[in-house]
Amino acid sequence: MNNDLPSGEAVDGSSNDQRSSGLLDHPSYEELEKKLTEAEQKISEHWDRIVRMQAEADNLQRRAERDVSNAHKYALDRFVGELLPIIDSLELCINNNVSSDETGSAKAVIEGVQLTHKLFLSVLVKFGVQQVNPTKEPFNPEYHQAISMQQDDSVSPGSVISVLQKGYTLNQRLVRPALVVVAKIEE
Amino acid sequence: MSSTIIGIDLGTTNSCVAIRVGDTVKVIENAEGARTTPSIVAYLKDEIRVGLSAKHQAVTNAKNTVYAAKRLIGRRFDEPMVKKMQETVPYTIIKADNGDAWIEVQGDQKLAPPQVSAQV
Repeated sequence: MNNDLPSGEAVDGSSNDQRSSGLLDHPSYEELEKKLTEAEQKISEHWDRIVRMQAEADNLQRRAERDVSNAHKYALDRFVGELLPIIDSLELCINNNVSSDETGSAKAVIEGVQLTHKLFLSVLVKFGVQQVNPTKEPFNPEYHQAISMQQDDSVSPGSVISVLQKGYTLNQRLVRPALVVVAKIEE
Repeated sequence: MSSTIIGIDLGTTNSCVAIRVGDTVKVIENAEGARTTPSIVAYLKDEIRVGLSAKHQAVTNAKNTVYAAKRLIGRRFDEPMVKKMQETVPYTIIKADNGDAWIEVQGDQKLAPPQVSAQV
Protein backbone atom coordinates (compact mmCIF):
# COMPACT_ATOMS: atom_id res chain seq x y z
CA MET A 1 0.00 0.00 0.00
CA ASN A 2 2.93 2.31 0.50
CA ASN A 3 4.11 2.10 -3.10
CA ASP A 4 0.99 3.37 -4.77
CA LEU A 5 0.92 6.22 -7.32
CA PRO A 6 3.61 5.10 -9.83
CA SER A 7 4.19 7.95 -12.39
CA GLY A 8 2.39 7.83 -15.76
CA GLU A 9 -0.39 5.51 -14.77
CA ALA A 10 -4.03 6.33 -14.29
CA VAL A 11 -4.70 6.61 -10.63
CA ASP A 12 -7.74 5.52 -8.87
CA GLY A 13 -8.24 8.26 -6.30
CA SER A 14 -10.43 6.31 -3.92
CA SER A 15 -7.67 4.24 -2.35
CA ASN A 16 -5.48 7.29 -1.60
CA ASP A 17 -8.01 9.73 -0.25
CA GLN A 18 -7.27 8.79 3.30
CA ARG A 19 -3.49 9.15 2.96
CA SER A 20 -3.05 12.87 2.23
CA SER A 21 -5.83 15.34 2.89
CA GLY A 22 -4.39 17.96 0.54
CA LEU A 23 -4.89 15.99 -2.68
CA LEU A 24 -7.29 17.30 -5.33
CA ASP A 25 -10.06 15.06 -6.57
CA HIS A 26 -8.67 13.86 -9.93
CA PRO A 27 -10.42 11.04 -11.72
CA SER A 28 -7.82 10.80 -14.55
CA TYR A 29 -4.30 11.88 -15.49
CA GLU A 30 -5.52 14.00 -18.41
CA GLU A 31 -7.77 15.88 -16.03
CA LEU A 32 -4.74 16.55 -13.85
CA GLU A 33 -2.77 17.82 -16.83
CA LYS A 34 -5.59 20.13 -17.84
CA LYS A 35 -5.74 21.58 -14.36
CA LEU A 36 -1.98 22.09 -14.43
CA THR A 37 -2.17 23.99 -17.71
CA GLU A 38 -4.94 26.19 -16.36
CA ALA A 39 -2.95 26.88 -13.21
CA GLU A 40 0.15 27.78 -15.24
CA GLN A 41 -1.90 30.14 -17.39
CA LYS A 42 -3.25 31.85 -14.31
CA ILE A 43 0.29 32.15 -12.96
CA SER A 44 1.55 33.82 -16.10
CA GLU A 45 -1.44 36.22 -16.11
CA HIS A 46 -0.81 37.16 -12.50
CA TRP A 47 2.89 37.58 -13.17
CA ASP A 48 2.10 39.87 -16.07
CA ARG A 49 -0.19 41.91 -13.87
CA ILE A 50 2.42 42.13 -11.12
CA VAL A 51 5.06 43.37 -13.56
CA ARG A 52 2.66 45.99 -14.87
CA MET A 53 1.68 47.14 -11.41
CA GLN A 54 5.33 47.34 -10.42
CA ALA A 55 6.06 49.49 -13.48
CA GLU A 56 3.11 51.74 -12.67
CA ALA A 57 4.28 52.06 -9.06
CA ASP A 58 7.77 52.97 -10.27
CA ASN A 59 6.37 55.60 -12.62
CA LEU A 60 4.17 57.04 -9.90
CA GLN A 61 7.08 57.27 -7.54
CA ARG A 62 9.28 58.94 -10.15
CA ARG A 63 6.51 61.41 -11.00
CA ALA A 64 5.90 62.18 -7.31
CA GLU A 65 9.61 62.82 -6.78
CA ARG A 66 9.73 65.11 -9.78
CA ASP A 67 6.62 66.99 -8.61
CA VAL A 68 8.07 67.52 -5.14
CA SER A 69 11.41 68.64 -6.57
CA ASN A 70 9.71 71.08 -8.95
CA ALA A 71 7.48 72.37 -6.16
CA HIS A 72 10.62 73.20 -4.15
CA LYS A 73 12.55 74.70 -7.04
CA TYR A 74 9.78 76.91 -8.38
CA ALA A 75 7.77 77.61 -5.23
CA LEU A 76 8.83 81.27 -5.28
CA ASP A 77 7.84 81.69 -8.92
CA ARG A 78 4.85 84.00 -8.44
CA PHE A 79 6.42 85.85 -5.50
CA VAL A 80 9.52 86.68 -7.55
CA GLY A 81 7.32 87.83 -10.42
CA GLU A 82 5.58 90.31 -8.11
CA LEU A 83 8.91 91.62 -6.76
CA LEU A 84 10.32 92.47 -10.18
CA PRO A 85 8.55 95.84 -10.65
CA ILE A 86 10.19 96.92 -7.37
CA ILE A 87 13.64 96.25 -8.78
CA ASP A 88 12.61 98.01 -11.99
CA SER A 89 11.66 101.10 -9.99
CA LEU A 90 14.95 101.09 -8.09
CA GLU A 91 16.91 100.82 -11.32
CA LEU A 92 14.90 103.60 -12.97
CA CYS A 93 15.63 105.86 -9.99
CA ILE A 94 19.34 105.14 -10.21
CA ASN A 95 19.60 105.55 -13.98
CA ASN A 96 17.77 108.85 -14.00
CA ASN A 97 19.92 110.40 -11.32
CA VAL A 98 23.37 108.90 -11.42
CA SER A 99 24.69 111.39 -13.94
CA SER A 100 23.72 114.46 -11.91
CA ASP A 101 26.52 116.48 -10.42
CA GLU A 102 24.66 117.32 -7.26
CA THR A 103 26.57 116.96 -4.07
CA GLY A 104 25.35 116.58 -0.56
CA SER A 105 22.09 114.99 0.44
CA ALA A 106 20.88 114.19 -3.12
CA LYS A 107 24.05 112.30 -3.85
CA ALA A 108 23.80 110.46 -0.54
CA VAL A 109 20.23 109.47 -1.31
CA ILE A 110 21.22 108.11 -4.72
CA GLU A 111 24.07 106.17 -3.18
CA GLY A 112 21.63 104.79 -0.62
CA VAL A 113 19.30 103.66 -3.40
CA GLN A 114 22.23 102.07 -5.21
CA LEU A 115 23.22 100.12 -2.13
CA THR A 116 19.61 99.07 -1.53
CA HIS A 117 19.38 97.86 -5.10
CA LYS A 118 22.58 95.87 -4.75
CA LEU A 119 21.33 94.29 -1.53
CA PHE A 120 18.00 93.40 -3.12
CA LEU A 121 19.75 91.74 -6.07
CA SER A 122 22.04 89.71 -3.84
CA VAL A 123 19.05 88.41 -1.88
CA LEU A 124 17.37 87.37 -5.12
CA VAL A 125 20.52 85.61 -6.32
CA LYS A 126 20.64 83.74 -3.02
CA PHE A 127 17.27 82.23 -3.89
CA GLY A 128 18.20 81.21 -7.42
CA VAL A 129 17.08 84.29 -9.37
CA GLN A 130 19.28 85.48 -12.22
CA GLN A 131 19.03 88.63 -14.33
CA VAL A 132 18.74 88.38 -18.11
CA ASN A 133 20.49 91.42 -19.60
CA PRO A 134 21.52 90.40 -23.11
CA THR A 135 22.84 93.63 -24.66
CA LYS A 136 24.87 92.83 -27.79
CA GLU A 137 24.17 89.10 -27.41
CA PRO A 138 22.40 87.06 -30.09
CA PHE A 139 18.63 87.15 -29.80
CA ASN A 140 17.27 84.06 -28.01
CA PRO A 141 13.45 83.87 -28.08
CA GLU A 142 13.43 81.51 -25.12
CA TYR A 143 14.60 84.26 -22.77
CA HIS A 144 14.08 87.46 -24.79
CA GLN A 145 10.95 89.01 -26.21
CA ALA A 146 11.46 91.20 -29.28
CA ILE A 147 9.59 94.49 -29.12
CA SER A 148 10.79 95.90 -32.40
CA MET A 149 13.49 95.62 -35.03
CA GLN A 150 15.81 98.41 -36.04
CA GLN A 151 18.52 98.97 -38.54
CA ASP A 152 21.77 99.19 -36.60
CA ASP A 153 25.18 98.50 -38.06
CA SER A 154 27.04 98.65 -34.77
CA VAL A 155 25.84 95.19 -33.76
CA SER A 156 25.71 92.01 -35.83
CA PRO A 157 22.32 91.23 -37.43
CA GLY A 158 20.01 89.26 -35.20
CA SER A 159 21.64 90.57 -32.03
CA VAL A 160 20.12 92.65 -29.30
CA ILE A 161 20.64 96.39 -29.72
CA SER A 162 19.16 97.50 -26.43
CA VAL A 163 17.28 96.08 -23.45
CA LEU A 164 14.13 97.96 -22.53
CA GLN A 165 13.37 95.85 -19.49
CA LYS A 166 15.59 93.22 -17.89
CA GLY A 167 14.41 89.62 -17.76
CA TYR A 168 14.67 87.28 -14.80
CA THR A 169 14.96 83.50 -14.34
CA LEU A 170 14.29 81.38 -11.26
CA ASN A 171 16.49 78.26 -11.24
CA GLN A 172 16.82 78.58 -15.01
CA ARG A 173 13.07 78.78 -15.57
CA LEU A 174 11.96 82.05 -17.15
CA VAL A 175 9.94 84.31 -14.85
CA ARG A 176 9.85 87.35 -17.12
CA PRO A 177 11.45 87.70 -20.57
CA ALA A 178 13.85 90.54 -21.29
CA LEU A 179 12.19 93.11 -23.56
CA VAL A 180 14.68 93.84 -26.33
CA VAL A 181 15.17 95.67 -29.62
CA VAL A 182 16.73 93.40 -32.23
CA ALA A 183 18.99 94.39 -35.12
CA LYS A 184 17.39 93.77 -38.50
CA ILE A 185 18.52 90.72 -40.42
CA GLU A 186 19.07 91.13 -44.14
CA GLU A 187 16.61 88.88 -45.99
CA MET B 1 -6.05 49.92 -13.93
CA SER B 2 -8.15 53.07 -13.92
CA SER B 3 -8.98 54.63 -17.26
CA THR B 4 -6.88 57.59 -18.36
CA ILE B 5 -8.31 60.36 -20.48
CA ILE B 6 -6.38 63.23 -22.02
CA GLY B 7 -8.26 66.45 -22.76
CA ILE B 8 -6.87 69.03 -25.17
CA ASP B 9 -8.23 72.55 -25.45
CA LEU B 10 -6.88 73.97 -28.72
CA GLY B 11 -7.79 77.64 -28.44
CA THR B 12 -7.35 80.51 -30.87
CA THR B 13 -4.81 82.28 -28.66
CA ASN B 14 -3.84 79.73 -26.00
CA SER B 15 -4.02 75.97 -25.61
CA CYS B 16 -4.15 73.71 -22.57
CA VAL B 17 -3.77 69.98 -21.93
CA ALA B 18 -5.11 68.09 -18.92
CA ILE B 19 -5.11 64.44 -17.91
CA ARG B 20 -7.73 62.58 -15.93
CA VAL B 21 -6.71 59.45 -14.03
CA GLY B 22 -9.60 57.94 -12.13
CA ASP B 23 -11.18 60.84 -10.26
CA THR B 24 -8.41 63.42 -10.33
CA VAL B 25 -7.86 65.92 -13.13
CA LYS B 26 -4.44 67.49 -13.54
CA VAL B 27 -3.35 70.19 -15.97
CA ILE B 28 -0.05 69.30 -17.61
CA GLU B 29 2.65 71.98 -17.63
CA ASN B 30 4.73 72.60 -20.72
CA ALA B 31 8.53 72.70 -20.96
CA GLU B 32 8.59 76.30 -19.68
CA GLY B 33 6.51 75.35 -16.66
CA ALA B 34 3.38 77.17 -17.81
CA ARG B 35 -0.05 75.58 -17.69
CA THR B 36 -1.20 77.15 -20.95
CA THR B 37 0.75 77.53 -24.18
CA PRO B 38 0.23 80.29 -26.74
CA SER B 39 -1.21 78.86 -29.97
CA ILE B 40 1.57 80.33 -32.07
CA VAL B 41 3.88 78.48 -34.50
CA ALA B 42 7.01 80.05 -35.98
CA TYR B 43 8.62 78.50 -39.05
CA LEU B 44 12.36 79.10 -39.26
CA LYS B 45 14.83 77.89 -41.86
CA ASP B 46 15.61 74.60 -40.14
CA GLU B 47 13.32 74.42 -37.15
CA ILE B 48 9.81 75.03 -35.93
CA ARG B 49 9.19 76.95 -32.71
CA VAL B 50 5.94 76.58 -30.79
CA GLY B 51 4.40 78.47 -27.89
CA LEU B 52 6.06 81.13 -25.78
CA SER B 53 9.37 81.22 -27.67
CA ALA B 54 7.45 81.60 -30.95
CA LYS B 55 5.54 84.49 -29.44
CA HIS B 56 8.75 86.20 -28.29
CA GLN B 57 10.27 86.28 -31.73
CA ALA B 58 7.10 87.22 -33.58
CA VAL B 59 8.31 90.77 -34.22
CA THR B 60 11.57 89.60 -35.80
CA ASN B 61 9.97 86.99 -38.02
CA ALA B 62 6.44 88.26 -38.65
CA LYS B 63 6.01 86.72 -42.10
CA ASN B 64 6.66 83.21 -40.84
CA THR B 65 5.02 83.36 -37.42
CA VAL B 66 1.49 81.99 -37.60
CA TYR B 67 -1.08 82.82 -34.94
CA ALA B 68 -4.87 82.35 -34.76
CA ALA B 69 -4.59 79.59 -37.35
CA LYS B 70 -7.75 78.17 -35.84
CA ARG B 71 -9.72 80.98 -37.47
CA LEU B 72 -8.79 79.57 -40.88
CA ILE B 73 -9.68 75.94 -40.25
CA GLY B 74 -12.47 74.79 -42.53
CA ARG B 75 -12.73 78.08 -44.41
CA ARG B 76 -12.67 78.60 -48.16
CA PHE B 77 -10.29 81.17 -49.54
CA ASP B 78 -13.05 83.33 -50.96
CA GLU B 79 -14.89 83.90 -47.69
CA PRO B 80 -15.05 87.53 -46.45
CA MET B 81 -13.61 86.49 -43.06
CA VAL B 82 -10.48 85.22 -44.80
CA LYS B 83 -10.15 88.48 -46.73
CA LYS B 84 -10.37 90.42 -43.48
CA MET B 85 -7.69 88.23 -41.93
CA GLN B 86 -5.44 88.75 -44.93
CA GLU B 87 -5.53 92.46 -44.26
CA THR B 88 -4.55 92.14 -40.60
CA VAL B 89 -2.12 89.24 -40.28
CA PRO B 90 1.50 89.53 -41.41
CA TYR B 91 1.71 85.98 -42.75
CA THR B 92 0.53 85.05 -46.24
CA ILE B 93 -2.80 83.30 -46.77
CA ILE B 94 -3.12 81.53 -50.12
CA LYS B 95 -5.67 79.53 -52.02
CA ALA B 96 -5.08 75.79 -51.99
CA ASP B 97 -5.77 73.53 -54.95
CA ASN B 98 -9.15 72.57 -53.51
CA GLY B 99 -10.16 76.18 -52.80
CA ASP B 100 -9.52 76.14 -49.05
CA ALA B 101 -7.59 78.85 -47.25
CA TRP B 102 -3.99 77.73 -46.67
CA ILE B 103 -0.95 79.44 -45.19
CA GLU B 104 2.37 80.03 -46.93
CA VAL B 105 5.61 80.44 -44.98
CA GLN B 106 9.29 80.65 -45.83
CA GLY B 107 8.41 81.67 -49.36
CA ASP B 108 7.41 78.26 -50.61
CA GLN B 109 6.06 76.06 -47.81
CA LYS B 110 2.31 75.62 -48.13
CA LEU B 111 0.55 74.52 -44.97
CA ALA B 112 -3.01 73.62 -44.12
CA PRO B 113 -4.44 75.38 -41.01
CA PRO B 114 -5.06 72.04 -39.22
CA GLN B 115 -1.41 71.17 -39.84
CA VAL B 116 -0.29 74.38 -38.14
CA SER B 117 -2.67 73.84 -35.23
CA ALA B 118 -1.40 70.27 -34.85
CA GLN B 119 2.08 71.64 -34.10
CA VAL B 120 0.69 73.26 -30.99
